[in-house]
Amino acid sequence: MTNRLRVLRAEREWSQAELAQRLRVSRQTVNAIETGKYDPSLPLAFSIARVFGQPIEQIFSPPMLPGE
Amino acid sequence: MSCHSKPIVWRLLGFAFLSAALAIAVAVARKNGLIPPSLRWVGALLPVAPILGYFAGLSSWIRSLDELQRLIQLEALFIQFAITAVLIMAYGALAEVRVVPDIAASRLWPWLWLSLFVSWAFGQAMIRRKYV
Repeated sequence: MTNRLRVLRAEREWSQAELAQRLRVSRQTVNAIETGKYDPSLPLAFSIARVFGQPIEQIFSPPMLPGE
Repeated sequence: MSCHSKPIVWRLLGFAFLSAALAIAVAVARKNGLIPPSLRWVGALLPVAPILGYFAGLSSWIRSLDELQRLIQLEALFIQFAITAVLIMAYGALAEVRVVPDIAASRLWPWLWLSLFVSWAFGQAMIRRKYV
């Protein structure tokens, strides 16, 4: 799964720590999501969407399937 | 480990040290004949009591973590369990054929704790590399 977390965070000039505080997770978790090492649960994905004020599908995209 | 988890780590260390201190105190008291035979079981179980607090603290610490940190702990605990189980089984098998000394359970538990701690730290380091 890919996401636009880093771009959205940069647009708001938030640090990873600041975003982590808003989401009530650790900075390492924000970093792992941004770098694609970890896919958040659905509740956390909804929290991220709420924090950025955007629909979830505009932040997260499914991985491309072969032949797409 | 996040900064808000530091107080709980100190609490866990406090329980571990309290257990060790009680074990030493009971051993000294037993050596000097200060524990009556009828209360021998109380003295023996006294150092175990803080371990209950230790695990209660550990449980509340894990509940306070976010989802990725919990996943890291779960995978680290699996590595800890696997390493410790293999070590104990292998040692037991070697002791059975007298390749290594057969250690009584009363002497084994400090090594068990050491194995649990070292394998947990190793597991954490391995799993953190995957996610962080």
